[in-house]
Amino acid sequence: MTIEMQRPKTLSTETTEVRVVDSDIHPTPKRGELTPFLPAKFRSLFENRATGAGSPVYYDAPDFAHSFAMRTDSFPADGNFAGSDPDLMFRQVVMEAGCDVLILGPLNGGGQTEEEHHAVTQATNAWQDACWLDSEHNWHQRYRGSIVAAMEHPEAAAREIEHWAGHPCMSQVLIGAELRPAWGDPQYDPVWEAATRNGLPVACHLGRGQHNELPMSPVGFMTYNHDLMVSYSMLAANQVMSLVFDGVFDRFPDLQIVFIEHAFNWLLPLMWRMDAVHAKRGPENGLKRKPSEYVKDHIWCTTQPLDMPEDKLEFTRALEWMEADKLLLFSSDYPHWTFDDPQWVRKHLPLHMQDKIMYQNALEVFKNVPSTVPALPGQKRPL
Amino acid sequence: MATVDEIAPGEHKVVPIGRWGVGVYNVDGRFYAIANYCPHEGGPLCSGRTHGLTVVDPERPGGAAESRAGEFIYCPWHQWGFELATGTTAVKPEWSIRTYPVRVQGSDVIVTA
Amino acid sequence: MGSESQPVVDASVHVFFANDADLRGYLHEPFKSRGYPDVDVAWFAPPDGVRYAPGTEAEAETTGRAFGGAVSTVKGHPGSDPELVGRQLFEERGVDVAVLHPMSNAGILPDWHLGSAIFAGYNRMLVERWLDSGTYADRFRGTIRVNPNDIDGAVREINRWKDHPRVVQIGLPMQTQHPYGRPYFRPLWRAAVEAGLPVAVHIEMGVGITHPPTPSGITRTFSHLTAYQPMTFVWHLLNMIAEGVFEEFPELRIVWADGAADMLTPFIWRMDSFGRPHLEQTPWAPKIPSAYLAEHVYFVHGALDGPGADAEFADEWLRMTGKEDHLLFGSSYPDWQMHSPDDLPRAWTPEQREKVLWRNAARLYGLETPVPASA
Ligand code: FES
Repeated sequence: MTIEMQRPKTLSTETTEVRVVDSDIHPTPKRGELTPFLPAKFRSLFENRATGAGSPVYYDAPDFAHSFAMRTDSFPADGNFAGSDPDLMFRQVVMEAGCDVLILGPLNGGGQTEEEHHAVTQATNAWQDACWLDSEHNWHQRYRGSIVAAMEHPEAAAREIEHWAGHPCMSQVLIGAELRPAWGDPQYDPVWEAATRNGLPVACHLGRGQHNELPMSPVGFMTYNHDLMVSYSMLAANQVMSLVFDGVFDRFPDLQIVFIEHAFNWLLPLMWRMDAVHAKRGPENGLKRKPSEYVKDHIWCTTQPLDMPEDKLEFTRALEWMEADKLLLFSSDYPHWTFDDPQWVRKHLPLHMQDKIMYQNALEVFKNVPSTVPALPGQKRPL
Repeated sequence: MATVDEIAPGEHKVVPIGRWGVGVYNVDGRFYAIANYCPHEGGPLCSGRTHGLTVVDPERPGGAAESRAGEFIYCPWHQWGFELATGTTAVKPEWSIRTYPVRVQGSDVIVTA
Repeated sequence: MGSESQPVVDASVHVFFANDADLRGYLHEPFKSRGYPDVDVAWFAPPDGVRYAPGTEAEAETTGRAFGGAVSTVKGHPGSDPELVGRQLFEERGVDVAVLHPMSNAGILPDWHLGSAIFAGYNRMLVERWLDSGTYADRFRGTIRVNPNDIDGAVREINRWKDHPRVVQIGLPMQTQHPYGRPYFRPLWRAAVEAGLPVAVHIEMGVGITHPPTPSGITRTFSHLTAYQPMTFVWHLLNMIAEGVFEEFPELRIVWADGAADMLTPFIWRMDSFGRPHLEQTPWAPKIPSAYLAEHVYFVHGALDGPGADAEFADEWLRMTGKEDHLLFGSSYPDWQMHSPDDLPRAWTPEQREKVLWRNAARLYGLETPVPASA
C-alpha cells in the first residue's frame, strides 16, 4: 500500500502550489553506487583507499555509535545509509513532513588533490542526474539537484558549472565551506562568474575538512562536537565578511550566496559590526555601499539549525531587526539528526515572514523551481 | 494492552493508544508507558534508544560513567533524553513528555490512558 | 566630553613602554639583549598609518634607532606617560577610575622564557610607574600580565602581585595555541580565583606564533581583521563552558577585553539549543550553557559594539542574554578606535547606562562607588 502511494502509475494532472521549499537535504549513494560515475583513472585508487578503512569520525554527535549523526528512523531497510533511498526520502520528507520541493545537496566528500576533488564532483553530478533526478526516481518532480563544484580547482569548477547549467533540475552550485583562503580571494572568481552567467545561486555547506581546514579556530581545536558545531558559524561569519570587504559583490553584482546549516542569528550583530567598521574606515575597502546592504541583497542563510532562546519573543524581535524575510530560506537538513520539521519552523516565524521564508524567497533564488507542482494525494501540508 | 512476557526487560512495545501510540517499556521488571511523541519537534520518540544518564566519575578512565542504565528514552531525531518514570529531564524539567500509569495484573500489563 | 553626571569607570586603558629601550631597561640579561617584535608592526597596520588617537603621544622625546632604520628622535609611545594619560582621562575625558591594561607582544612569543621575562618587566613598570607613583596613582587600577605558555611562571607572577591594593585583574592574550577550556590552563584559573582577581583576555599586539586570525586564514583587509578578531572570544568561551571551567571554578570571572559582546547572544542561543543533547558528553558542565554566564563573563564595550548609537531598540538588545549586566565601558585609550560615553546608544535606559558606565565595573573590581568627578 505504501509503495502504491509512492508510485502512482500516472502523476496527477492536478497541480498544487508550492508552499515549502527545502533547501538543505542530503542524498547519499548506496554502497558502490558512485564508483561507476568516477573518471576511470580514479576508480581503483579510491576503492583501494577505502579498502580496510574504518570510520573517520572524531567529533561525534550524541550517541554516535547508534545514530551515526542521523535521524535514526531514516535508515532504509536494505542496510544502506540514511539518505540513500529516494523513495524513503520522498515518503518522510515530501509526504510526511510536507516539503514540496527538495534542493538536494549531496556531500560526497573530496579528494586529496585538486584533481581528485574535481573528480568527486564530476561523479556526484552525474550520479545525481542518473539516480535521483531521472524520470524514474524523480517521477514526482519534487527533486532538484546541486551542481557540486570543487573550489580547490576553480577553472575546472567553472567548466563543471557550464556543463550542467541548463539542466532543468539543477538549481544551484554547491561548494564546501572550509577551504582556505576565504571566498573574497580573486582565485575563486571563475566560479562566481560561471554561476552568475547561468543565473545559479552558489550554496556553501559545511563538511569538515582536514587539519587547519577542519575548520580550526584561531585558538586551536575545540574539544567536543558541541563547541565545534556551535563555533562553526564563525567560519561563515568570516566568509560573509570576506565576500563583503573583499568586494566580491561589486565584482559580481548578480551573485547570490546561500549559507547552508551555518545558523543565522549571528548575522544581526555581524551586520552591525561590519557597518560600524565601515563607518570608521570605509574608503580603504573601496566598497560602494554599506556592508549590511550587500548582505541583504546577496546573502541567504538556511533556517536549520533554528536556535532560539528561552524567551521566544527575543527571537522574534531579532528576526525583525535583521529583516529575516530578506535573508532566510527554509531547510530541514534531512536525514541528519539535526533535522528541522517544516511545521515546527513555520510556527516559530513571525506571521508576515512565514511565506517568504518557507518558499517565496526560494522561488526567487532558485530560478528553475516552479511555483506549482503535480499534486500528491495524501501529502501533508504544514500550515 | 500487552502481556508481561511480550516485553522482556530492556524491550518495549508501541501500543495503539491515542494519536501517536504509547510505548510500554520494561526496565528491569518495572513497566513504564510514554506517549510516542516528542515535545520538541514531534519526533517518533519510541523509535529512539533507551540508555542511562552520563555522570562524572573521576575513578573511571575518561572521568565519566553511565548511571541508571536504561531508565531514559532518547529521541531518534535530536537525541533529547527523558526519564521514563517521570517524563522529565534534569536539564530543563519544564520540557517533559506525557507518561501514563502502568500496572501489572497477573500476566497482563495494563496502561491507563 | 566630561559631561557625564555620573561616575565613569574606564575599564580599558592601554599602557605601553615609551619605546623599546625603555622596555629593555626593565629586562635583565640574557633577555635584555634578545630579539623580539615591537608592539607596533607593519603587518596589518591601519592603512592610513594612524594607529593611535591624535594627541596621545608622550611629550618627552627620545633618540633611538628603530628596527632597520636611521637614528631618529621620536616622542614617547601613546599611553606611556602616566601624567599625560591621567590628565587626558581624568581632567579632560571625565573618567573617574581607569583600569590599565599593559599592551605587549610577550604572550605569543615562541620562547616562553623570554615571554615571561618581558611580562615581568611590564608588571614591574605598571606598578612602579602607574600604581605606586605619580599624580593620579589613586585613580589607576592595574592588570598583571601573565604568560599562558608558562603556567608555573604565570602562577608565580600572579602570586607576586596579587596583594597589591591597586592590582585588580590578571591579563591573558586572546591568541593561544589552544582554547582556554583545555585542562592545562586550570592552575591559572585556580591562582586567579585564589587571588580573588578577574582575568581579562585581550588581543596581543605585535606578531608571533599565532594561528591565522580566522578559520579561513588571513584576511585581505584591515577592516575585516579589525571587525573579526575581537569575536575570537567565542571559541574560548564555548570551550570553557563545555569543559566545565565555570563549574570547577564558581568564582572565576573572565573579561573579554576586546568587546564584541553582541555575539554572545546568537552564540549562546545556539549553545543552549544544541547543548541539550550534547550535555550527555559533558557531565562536568551539566547546566544549560547560558546558566554559566551570570557573574562569570564580562565584556568591555568597545567602539564597534552594539547596534549603533541611534538604534531605537538598543535597550531591548542590551537586555537580551543579560548583556546589560556583563558590559563595562572601556575607551581603548589611546587606540585609534578610542571612544567615549557620548558614543553609547541613546536608547539605553538610565539604569543600563549606569550599569555599563560604572556599576558593573564597581561590582567586578570591588571598587568603592566612585565619586562623580563633576559633583
Ligand atoms: S523531536 Fe525529539 S528531540 Fe527533537
